[in-house]
Amino acid sequence: MLTSFVLWVVFSYVFASRLPSGQQFAPYLMAGILFNTFFNQGLLLSAESISSNGAVLTKIYVPPQIFAISAALAGLVNFFIGMIPLTIVVYISGQTLAWTMPIVLVIGICLALLVSGLGLALSIMFIRFDDTRNIVNVLLMILMYLTPVFYPISVMSPRIQAIIRWNPLTSYLEIYRWAVSNNASPHLRDWIFMFSTSLFSIWLGTTVFKKYWPRTVAML
Amino acid sequence: MAVIEVTNLNLTYRVLMNRTGSIKELFKETIKGRTRITNYVALADVSFTVNKGEVVAILGRNGAGKSTLLKVLAGVLPPTKGASKVNGAIAPMIELGAGFHPEMTGTENVIFYSALLGRDVKRVKARAAEIGEWAGVSDHMGFPLRTFSSGMVARLAFSTATDEQADVLLVDEVLSVGDADFQGKSGARMDSLINSGAAVVLVSHDMVSVRKLAHRAIWLENGQVKMIGPAAAVVDAYEAG
Repeated sequence: MLTSFVLWVVFSYVFASRLPSGQQFAPYLMAGILFNTFFNQGLLLSAESISSNGAVLTKIYVPPQIFAISAALAGLVNFFIGMIPLTIVVYISGQTLAWTMPIVLVIGICLALLVSGLGLALSIMFIRFDDTRNIVNVLLMILMYLTPVFYPISVMSPRIQAIIRWNPLTSYLEIYRWAVSNNASPHLRDWIFMFSTSLFSIWLGTTVFKKYWPRTVAML
Repeated sequence: MAVIEVTNLNLTYRVLMNRTGSIKELFKETIKGRTRITNYVALADVSFTVNKGEVVAILGRNGAGKSTLLKVLAGVLPPTKGASKVNGAIAPMIELGAGFHPEMTGTENVIFYSALLGRDVKRVKARAAEIGEWAGVSDHMGFPLRTFSSGMVARLAFSTATDEQADVLLVDEVLSVGDADFQGKSGARMDSLINSGAAVVLVSHDMVSVRKLAHRAIWLENGQVKMIGPAAAVVDAYEAG
């Protein structure tokens, strides 16, 4: 919450005037931060959950996937709780909640699938290589700057905008902002991106995990 | 009836040559074209069966593959080759209190541990107080586990692990839990579990208790079965060699 406030004070001077008319910066930023927190922390916790519970997994048989998926679900719950302050901010800034609000449920589930899929695949790397976390942190930072979390897409040059549009996270975020308070305008392609990446991610994660887990468990 | 069937079980660990497994190292080694993984054979061609109500001890020096074998039986480590089949519910007592969390209370830990073992949480909730009482820690069940002494933790874990009838008990050096009084009590409970048909696989360095408890014994050396037979005979041979 405090971080959101600082970012809001700083960036509202820089970016607020660049949003299309009718959109407000405070809810725009807050939605971005909620989204980013879910993705970053959910992914790290999910990827780490299996290596950090190694002591249990090598003593009692428990399906290891449970740990990664439950970490993603914990992130999902936080994401939904975050809707309460976001709603307040929406009304303070003079907007109203859109009737499309319930779609947030779908977005949350898609995000949870994305996070648990990537988390499962990464968890194998986390067990095998100690420095994975550092590398993932850097990648997540790059990814955050390539997602319009705290800036409007329109401030970027057309070439950069094209790159940002190819980032699937942008699609999730656009749909999220649109669903909550009509604060963005997603296209059909954003919807396709969201559903296809979430399904692909969970498929990839479970397949990779199943394939490498037998060889990795002894390294716990 | 065989409760545990192990046929031509092989397990190979992949061991990293250098101490740290990092992506940086992987990158360096790949460029230099060196292999960094060697195979370490922990279990080679192990076959045996365990019948209902039978107590089988696994003997061997440190690093002979005893604990690895227990982990394979528990389903934690997948075998590289061969198969291990366990028919029925397993109560793994490979390390008592694995999955216990120091910040949770005694009762919460009992429920959480039972859930990890795949038991019906509702039934355990009702039995939690009784489990605590049997362990002799009923006064402390509402406090976080970090306030328990290590003996109390071990007693609670034993009480939880043996609370429900299991078909197979996997025991790794946990027979000496608590004080003399509790040892008698836990011994009696083990006996009653065995008498009601549970099979026990037990890893121990304590030859006296092996002679007393086990019907048969398996002597492992460097991952291979060196001798298998009646407990007394195997223990004699093991102590001689």
